Amino acid sequence: MFLQVESLRKSYGGVEALQGVDLQLEKGELLCLFGPNGAGKSTLLKILATLLAPTSGTVRAAGFDLEEHPEAYRARLGVVSHQSFLYADLTARENLAFYAALYGMDDPDGRADDLLERVDLAHRADAPVSALSRGMQQRLTIARALVNDPDLLLLDEPFTGLDEHAAARLRDQLRLLHDRDRTVVLVTHNLRRGLESATRLGILSRGRLVYLEDRDRVDPAAFEAEYFRLLEVR
Amino acid sequence: MNALRPVWVVFAKDVRIELRRRESLASMAFFGALVLVILSLAVGGGRRVAPETGAGILWVAVLFASVLGLGRVFAREKEDGCVSALLVSPLSPGALFAAKALVNFALMAAAEVVLVPLFYVLFGRGLAGNPLPLLPVIVLVNGGFSAAGTLLSAVAAGTRRNEVLLPILLYPLLLPVIVLAVRATGGVLAGGGLAAAAEHLSTLAAFCVIYAAAGALLFPFAVREG
Repeated sequence: MFLQVESLRKSYGGVEALQGVDLQLEKGELLCLFGPNGAGKSTLLKILATLLAPTSGTVRAAGFDLEEHPEAYRARLGVVSHQSFLYADLTARENLAFYAALYGMDDPDGRADDLLERVDLAHRADAPVSALSRGMQQRLTIARALVNDPDLLLLDEPFTGLDEHAAARLRDQLRLLHDRDRTVVLVTHNLRRGLESATRLGILSRGRLVYLEDRDRVDPAAFEAEYFRLLEVR
Repeated sequence: MNALRPVWVVFAKDVRIELRRRESLASMAFFGALVLVILSLAVGGGRRVAPETGAGILWVAVLFASVLGLGRVFAREKEDGCVSALLVSPLSPGALFAAKALVNFALMAAAEVVLVPLFYVLFGRGLAGNPLPLLPVIVLVNGGFSAAGTLLSAVAAGTRRNEVLLPILLYPLLLPVIVLAVRATGGVLAGGGLAAAAEHLSTLAAFCVIYAAAGALLFPFAVREG
């Protein structure tokens, strides 16, 4: 098992954002997590990203325990959020080279150039991030998340703020991300985009994982109805 | 990986951005120079000042100017969520603290390259002795200010009114260092040389170590959410 989440709980004051989430993913799976606002999706992703400490429960990925070996765990991790995590005053190449150096790559500039080729931005390598379009920034964000060739990739609402064309390109980029047995957890409100990309589907509601199923066993039309039914039940 | 390499990588990135924008350094130097000119006019323009008064004027200008740069260095990481990218990387919070403290130290030193000579131009009449013994005092004050300031700028960056909160938290905490710096500098400006500064240097160094140790220990709690 590549990713194991057991009895994960998180409380803020008196509010339980996560109420005992259990989740197991095999290497190479792409889990798409859906849920309304306040369901605990971002909290779960922040815990998986080590940005937030859980109140109780354990997370293990690639054999590393998040609490015991946070730095080794983070070395295998990539994160894409609706924020770019890019420095507006640095060029596309400088941003990638900075992150490559941070992950201890031997040739940060070479790694940056490779990634710029992969996301089709080599022609804008020397442009400052502030001069790139939103879609280009999103592609550069994906390149940044791949800088350490992560085994586990977390994506938090990556379709936010993108028009249809840019969202379609992002979906293609997600296929790029999901190569070579990389495990991906994607959180989104966008049912259609999520269904296009996933190998497993999950629904979080009020801090609980109320649904988890293989994508192949789900009829997309029925899934939408099931999604709204589960939210109403709870 | 060499433990110092990530510190250098973050430091070099911040210096590159600063050299490109020059917003922190320019505002620090300009504001500090403005304070010195206003205080020079307030004491009567070209009049002699007592060494201890001169020392107070110099450190008021330097420390008020430095807080401008201090806030920017961490606030920049909050833009576009870059701090989250640093926190999910293998970079330890201690290395991030060290890198940011070094950036603040370098910015402060660069502002002082402008402000200390300007201070001598405006207030130098009647001040005795060689200014070189000021160097260890400046290094230790910069060290203490950068360490405490880096921690508190991380705390303040998470709030809405960080520009106001940072000086309110920082100056009271730095009061012992400011008092020692004024005494040591006053001794040097009175012609006492390195011997006049030396009696305060060990206490200043102790504060510097305390701020650095407390900063390194508390920084992870300041930058991470609950």
